[in-house]
Amino acid sequence: MFKKVMSMADAVDLIQDGQLLGIGGNALHRSPVVFTQALAKAGRKDLKVCAAAPGMGADVLCAAGCADTAYFGFFGFENEYGLAAGFRKGCQEGKIKAIEGS
Amino acid sequence: MAMINALRGGAYGVPFMPVPGLWGSDLIEQRPEFFRVMQSPFTGEKVVCVKSLNPDYSIIHVQEADEYGNCRILGPSFQDALLARAAKKTIVTTERLVGTYRMQEEPKLTTVPHFLVEAVVVVPGGAKPGICYPEYQKVDDAGMKAYTKAVKGGTMDEYLAGVTEGRF
Repeated sequence: MFKKVMSMADAVDLIQDGQLLGIGGNALHRSPVVFTQALAKAGRKDLKVCAAAPGMGADVLCAAGCADTAYFGFFGFENEYGLAAGFRKGCQEGKIKAIEGS
Repeated sequence: MAMINALRGGAYGVPFMPVPGLWGSDLIEQRPEFFRVMQSPFTGEKVVCVKSLNPDYSIIHVQEADEYGNCRILGPSFQDALLARAAKKTIVTTERLVGTYRMQEEPKLTTVPHFLVEAVVVVPGGAKPGICYPEYQKVDDAGMKAYTKAVKGGTMDEYLAGVTEGRF
């Protein structure tokens, strides 16, 4: 085993434009939001996101124009927060391809 | 089930997986890059197949990780163990760093083992404005409203600058 603790900036640098990312958690539960905020700030492009129930973390990438494709079963926040706002907007504007898996 | 089977296919190292329960859905014809119908080589019956997914990176947020990347997820783990196994590499953000003794005490509670992990970033509050049981169990309503407003108002650049300022 070797040590892998690193800064957010170094971890964000691992990810390249166009890569497929699996986003953990479920809707608003244990979603890696702060990481995807940092990734979006870094301005990655053409990312593809996938998860059974991607939520806030994946939506930040959709809202910021970093993702062009989403593989999902259910993509939303649940309860009063409804559907994922960034993903919905991206689909409506034709900027994100939705590949629904159920 | 199709998404989960796509990730299972990725984790098992096979190019596609059969998936039950999709008959009658327009998804099969609408997304031929993800769904295909084939015949069972054994019985000849038709079966829907889904293409396996191998993420370049899976990104998961956990409550406990050690410096080597061994992770414990408290409460529901959702598909995170599967995402880590389907992906080429996994990046972990963690509420806190714990000693490896935590993993050695109860090895089977290690949801994601070190050899799947490329990076560990310590990020307390890393799932906010969402929830991370049991650390914070209510959605941060103000945080969600600020996010939704930024999305709808087209001010994501300002939003991202605000939420990341001074953090990293």
